[in-house]
Amino acid sequence: MFLSLIKKQFKMFLRSPSEILLLLVMPIGLILILSFALGSIMNGETNFEKITIAVVQHGDEEKELEEFINETSQLIPFNDMMIQNIKSMLPVSTLVNKVLQSDDAKELISVTQLDSKDLDRVRENGEFNTIIEIPKGFTTEYLKSVFFEGKIPSYQVYLNESEQTTSMIIQNILDFYQYQFSLFTELGKNGLLTEEMNVPTFELSSEIKSIASKEKITSSVYYTFSMSVMFILFLAGTVASQAYLEKDSHIFDRILLAQVHPLTYLASIVVSTVLLTIVQIGILFKVSYFLFNIPFTNWVYYFLITFMVALVIGGISALLSSLNFRSNSATASNVFSNAFVAIFSLLGGSFFNISSMSPVLAQFGLWTPNGAALEGYLRLVQDDSFSTIQPIIIRLGVLAFGFILLAFLLFPKRGGIA
Amino acid sequence: MLEVVNLTKNYKKVKAVDGVNFYIEPGEIVGLLGPNGAGKSTTIAMISTLIPPSSGDVLLQNHNVMKDPGSLRKILGVVPQEIALYGDLTARENLEFFGSMHKMPKKRLKERINIVLKQIGLENEHKKLVKHYSGGMKRRLNIGVALLHEPQYLIMDEPTVGIDPQSRNHILETVKQLNQELKTAIIYTSHYMEEVEYLCKRIYIMDQGRIIASGTKEEIKSILSSEKMIVVKFDRHSNAYIQELMNHPLLSNLQVKDSEISFTVSKDTNLLPVLMNLCEKHQIVLNSFQVEEPTLEDVFLHLTGRALRN
Repeated sequence: MFLSLIKKQFKMFLRSPSEILLLLVMPIGLILILSFALGSIMNGETNFEKITIAVVQHGDEEKELEEFINETSQLIPFNDMMIQNIKSMLPVSTLVNKVLQSDDAKELISVTQLDSKDLDRVRENGEFNTIIEIPKGFTTEYLKSVFFEGKIPSYQVYLNESEQTTSMIIQNILDFYQYQFSLFTELGKNGLLTEEMNVPTFELSSEIKSIASKEKITSSVYYTFSMSVMFILFLAGTVASQAYLEKDSHIFDRILLAQVHPLTYLASIVVSTVLLTIVQIGILFKVSYFLFNIPFTNWVYYFLITFMVALVIGGISALLSSLNFRSNSATASNVFSNAFVAIFSLLGGSFFNISSMSPVLAQFGLWTPNGAALEGYLRLVQDDSFSTIQPIIIRLGVLAFGFILLAFLLFPKRGGIA
Repeated sequence: MLEVVNLTKNYKKVKAVDGVNFYIEPGEIVGLLGPNGAGKSTTIAMISTLIPPSSGDVLLQNHNVMKDPGSLRKILGVVPQEIALYGDLTARENLEFFGSMHKMPKKRLKERINIVLKQIGLENEHKKLVKHYSGGMKRRLNIGVALLHEPQYLIMDEPTVGIDPQSRNHILETVKQLNQELKTAIIYTSHYMEEVEYLCKRIYIMDQGRIIASGTKEEIKSILSSEKMIVVKFDRHSNAYIQELMNHPLLSNLQVKDSEISFTVSKDTNLLPVLMNLCEKHQIVLNSFQVEEPTLEDVFLHLTGRALRN
C-alpha cells in the first residue's frame, strides 16, 4: 500500500511534461547558460581593462635617502646592512614596485611614472583612472618621522570618481599601504625597527596564496551545485500542491475510506519527495558530470549530503501539505514556490556567492536547505573529507527533523479542515 | 442495517444538518433528494465517517461507527460528486492504486479489476490515460473505483452530473444491476427526479439541513393526493394574465415555461370557468387544458418551494 503511494507519485511526475521541464530541463539549461556566461568571470579568464595609475614624483627618492644619511650620520650609526634595509622600505618604491606592481596586482593595474610637467595635462584629459602625486622631500620627511619625531608626510591622490569600482579598489589598496607604513613608523619611533627586520610582507598576498592552494571552484562546478539545490526546492512546492489537489478532488477521501491512516499518507509524501529529490539531483549531477567533467571523487559523501538535503525537502513538502490541508487551499505551496524559493535561493547563494555582498545574510543562508547543501558540496570539491561536511550534515539533520515534526503535528488527523 | 439518528452538524453559527434520521436496509436503493445547500453532501460525509457529527449517531447493525470507522469503511463504497481519479494514470492504474489502498491481494485485485472494467464498460479502454476520457467515461470509472472491494453499501453523490444520455443510461443500468445481482444497498442522490423515480423505492427529501419528507414513492406522491396538477397552453405569453393567475387564491406551485403554465389546485375545484374568464379579459386563446397526476417533482416543489434543478 505504502509502495503504491510512492509508485503513483513517480508515475505522475514522469507523465507530467511541465514538471519535468521545471525540475530537470530548466536547471540543466540554467547550469549551461550560467556556466558559459559567467564562466570567464568566475574562472578569472576575462580580459578586464587594467586600472591605469600615473605616479608623478616631484623629487628623487635615491637622492633624498643619500641626503638623509649624510645629514643624520652623526646621530645614527648607519652600517651597510641597515642602509640596505632602509633602501628596501623606501615608501615610493615600495608603493610602486611592491604594492601596485606586485605579481598579483600586475594583472589588474598598469603603472606609468610621469614627469611633474605632465601632471596638469593628465589631470585634465582623464587619461588615467588614478593619479598619485608625490611631493618633493616626501621620502626625507618620511625617514625623519621614522627615526626622529616629525609629522608623517602626505601625498595626493586623484581618483576618477565616475568609475566607482576602480576608485574603491585603489582606495582600498592605498589605505592598506598607508596602514602598513604608519605601523612601520610607529615601530621605528619605539626603537623596534632593527637592522634584522625585513620589510613587512603584505597580508593581502599571503591571503591570495592560501586561496590559490585549494581546488579551484569553476563556474560550472558552482552552478551545477547551486542550480541543483535551488530546483529541488520547487519539488517541495509541487508535491504539496499535488497533495492538495488530491484532497480537493476527494481522492484523499477515497484513500482514507480505504482505511489508510492520514499520517501514513503524510509519511508517503515525505518518502516520495526524498526519493524524487535524490533522483532529480542524481540526474542533474550526471548530466553535469558528462558536460563539464566535474569530479565527484567521494560519491559516498556526495550521497550523504544529497540524502540529508532530500530529507529537508521531504519535510518542507510535508509541512506545506499540512498547511494546505489545514487552510483548505493551495496557498502555502503557492507562496513557497513563488516567494520562498526566490528568497532561499538568494540567501543560499544559488544566484551568486552572497557572502561577498553581505556576510550576515550569508550566515542566514547557511540555514536554508539549498545554502547548507551548496556549502557542503563546495567544501567537498575543495576538501574531500568527512570532517569538512560534518557541521553541514548536522545542520541539515536539524532542519529535516524540525520540518518533519512540524508537519506531523499540524496535519489534520481526519485530513479535512481541522 | 445502516441507520442515522438525530445527525447534526454545526459550522460556527450555521446548522448545515439538523437532526436528520435516516435508514437503509441491505439490498435497498434509497434516494436522497434536495436542492443545492440542503445538507446532502454533509450528511453523506458524516455517514461515510469522513467528518464527525456535532451530535447524533451513525449506526451499523446498532453499533456506533464513529467509535470504529473501520467497521463501516471496509463495507462501504463512496462515489463522490467530483471525479476523484488521477488523470495522469490509466483506468487500470487507477483501479490498481485504489485497490492496493484497500490492501487487496494482488491476484484478487487483478480479478476484480477485470470484473469492474466489464461492469463499467471500459474493458477496451483501460490503457488510456484518464485525462483523455470523455466526461461519461470518467464518471463510469469514478463508480468503478468504489466497486473494487465489493462494498455492501454504496453511496452515490450525483453520479450522472454533466454527462451524455448514453453514459447516463449505462450508469443507471449498472446501478440497477449491482443492486439486483449483488444486493448492494445504495444511497443515491441526484438532481434528476426521473433517475430517483426509476431506481429508488424509498426517498428522503432534504431541505435546509432537515428531512422534510420520507417514504416510498407512492407515499411521497400521496402528499399531493388531495390536489391535481393542471397544465395549460395559450397562443401567446401574457404577463398580465400570469400575474392574475399567481394572485389567484385557489392556485399554488405555479410554474411558467414560455406559453405553458402549470399549477396545482384542490381536486374538487372547477377551474375551467375561471381560466376562460381570464382568457377573455386578456384577449388570449386557450390552446390546451390537461389534468395530470402529481409527480415527485411536483411534491418537491410543493415541499420546498423550489424546483430541484434550481
